[in-house]
Amino acid sequence: MNLVVNGDAETGPGGTDAPVATVTGWRITQGAPALIAYSFGGGYPTAADPGPDRRGSRFFGGGNAPRTALVQDVALPAAGATGHAAIDAGRVRYAVEAWLGGYATQEDGARLSVEFRDARGTPVALSVLGPVTSGERGGRTGLLKRTAGAQAPPGARTARLLLVLTRTGSGASNDGYADGISLTLTASAATGTTPTGGAL
Amino acid sequence: MTLDRRTLLKAAGAAGALNTVWPLSAGLSPAQAREAAEALGADYDPAPFTLGVASGDPQPGSVVLWTRLAPEPLAAEQKLPEVVAVDWVVAEDQALTRVVARGSAPASATLGHSVHVPVQGLAAGRTYWYAFSALGRTSRVGRTRTAPTGSVARVRFATANCQAFHDGFYAAHRGIAREDVDFVVHLGDYIYEHGPVGGDHVRDHEGPAVLTLADYRRRHALYKGDASLREAHAAHPWFLTWDDHEVANDYSGTGGGAPFLQRRAAAYQAWYENMPHRDGGESALPDPVLHRTRRWGDLLELTVLDLRSYRSAQNLAGGTILGAEQKNWLKGTIDRAPDSWHVWANSIMLSQLRGRPGGSYMFTDQWDGFLAERREILGHVHTSGLEDLVVVTGDWHSAFVDDLRVDFDDTSSPLVGTEFTAHSVTSGGYSADWNAANGPLMGRGNPHLKYFEGNRYGYDVHELTPQRFTTRMRVVADRRDPLSPVTTLTSFHVDRGRTGSYEDPATKGSPAQWRRD
Repeated sequence: MNLVVNGDAETGPGGTDAPVATVTGWRITQGAPALIAYSFGGGYPTAADPGPDRRGSRFFGGGNAPRTALVQDVALPAAGATGHAAIDAGRVRYAVEAWLGGYATQEDGARLSVEFRDARGTPVALSVLGPVTSGERGGRTGLLKRTAGAQAPPGARTARLLLVLTRTGSGASNDGYADGISLTLTASAATGTTPTGGAL
Repeated sequence: MTLDRRTLLKAAGAAGALNTVWPLSAGLSPAQAREAAEALGADYDPAPFTLGVASGDPQPGSVVLWTRLAPEPLAAEQKLPEVVAVDWVVAEDQALTRVVARGSAPASATLGHSVHVPVQGLAAGRTYWYAFSALGRTSRVGRTRTAPTGSVARVRFATANCQAFHDGFYAAHRGIAREDVDFVVHLGDYIYEHGPVGGDHVRDHEGPAVLTLADYRRRHALYKGDASLREAHAAHPWFLTWDDHEVANDYSGTGGGAPFLQRRAAAYQAWYENMPHRDGGESALPDPVLHRTRRWGDLLELTVLDLRSYRSAQNLAGGTILGAEQKNWLKGTIDRAPDSWHVWANSIMLSQLRGRPGGSYMFTDQWDGFLAERREILGHVHTSGLEDLVVVTGDWHSAFVDDLRVDFDDTSSPLVGTEFTAHSVTSGGYSADWNAANGPLMGRGNPHLKYFEGNRYGYDVHELTPQRFTTRMRVVADRRDPLSPVTTLTSFHVDRGRTGSYEDPATKGSPAQWRRD
């Protein structure tokens, strides 16, 4: 199950390149995001450009600010096969996925990071995706899939997602694009975690 | 690794021909690279705690403990489980018998197998000792200290900056480790990002310019291969800011496209992984938040600034070195400041610096490239009535003492504080000839500049009492000697309630390339 709310930009206000004041599921911590329809045109990614196979109708754009940032805090499930007890036993892995991109040969970009935190808010794991460069896109407008995964460390209780869309140069449009953001947990056999040191 | 190669490396080092055998990464396994680095003067604590231990961000009831597991410190990937449980303990005694807190923290490969433990529930204003254990091994014992509350009669702290690995050994950190200080402030340029320099240096970088997360991790590990740096971390809690070389020369945190932002994120993450930095709260990695205020009882309010993450390009009409949010925050801290000494940890020179009378600014990467914002901040200091402001600065590889004016070009403009720019730990300054010629020129071109000395290396120790702020310039005899003795070159004082600094008469005859008085 994808733990991210509105990771596909399908919910809430938007549809054009005009910035929106609120984004369902996310806190706008900087800048002015736009949730743009693939059918909007104007040089923005279309259904024919590289991107998610099942891309829905919209994607995240950086709007008209040089740096736009969105944050979403995810509470990890308390119970079940991927609940706290399983995490603390070293039996849960996470996978984070996002489609990240930009415009043509410009170096505007999108970066998604997920930081796992313990109950006190201390970072205990981190995965960073992107930003995707124009070279990686072959100089073509579109979005590329990026993934990462690791064991959810014992004690992890929340995950903070940070989506940063950045503009290069002096133009008005921030052409960092993102779509298809997901965070999933899977139960696994207990591996990877060593017992405590025990010498202290 | 064979004895022949070790002998070769030693011989090459002695002959000043390191560039013939570096970068070490070429064709060498991580273990071989480590052995080669050790042959040239690097060394490490026993595995897996090779990089030592550290503590940071002391508060009245809390301090952050740090370590990073790196059995092969120069390896891109450590041969460790994906997550390793690291036990920690805090005690009232060095033998760790009177334990006051203990626990376990996960060291994840995703964070370079580092752990950052914000220990809570400690007593204010006291010394503690701590250690870690993992994989059946125990780390060295570190010492730390919590901030006091209430009335405080004295605080002492050291500032360090600019420690290019190739330019010398860290005798300055050896000195800091032995100082009777409450904490250390590092003002940036903790690592340098470029490749080997070759030539006649005591040691060199391990490989080409660093770009990726693996690169930056390796570079941090190389720098921690100096025993004196690890000793200074283990001896005192540190506050931390950064300058440009933790990422790239003269960079702007808000500039650059996707390729540079990939690099910046890697550099920021590796910095976090290797520092006793307290993060969390409203921030999110890989963008740690550095700026903060901390109190040392009623005697000191320390304001740590981040002059890299949020700055614009230089020399813009509406340019910013702080970023809008940090600027508003700083002005708010000025408005709310308690009656105490106020110290700003400032990575790069705040004072105006012209190269000669009527000449241009020497470097606009420093605050001279952000004139309107400097005037706004110093004007706010004046209009708000903030007193007893001392700014401690790095970056310049030379020592300056400046008195701060709201308008540096107007000698009738109000004085609002003093800035002490410290010698570097090792990073090379200008030549003695340059300093001798240009010290007087800078002095005459900057009426607020009281002192300049650029021929030495070391650190500053600051001592605060309710009556007086004293800065002692501590210098090493020879940065090429890892055991170089440390002496006090000179001392400056600022009296409480009076703006302006003055040199201690006892050391006023010490060597310098400019003195106003």
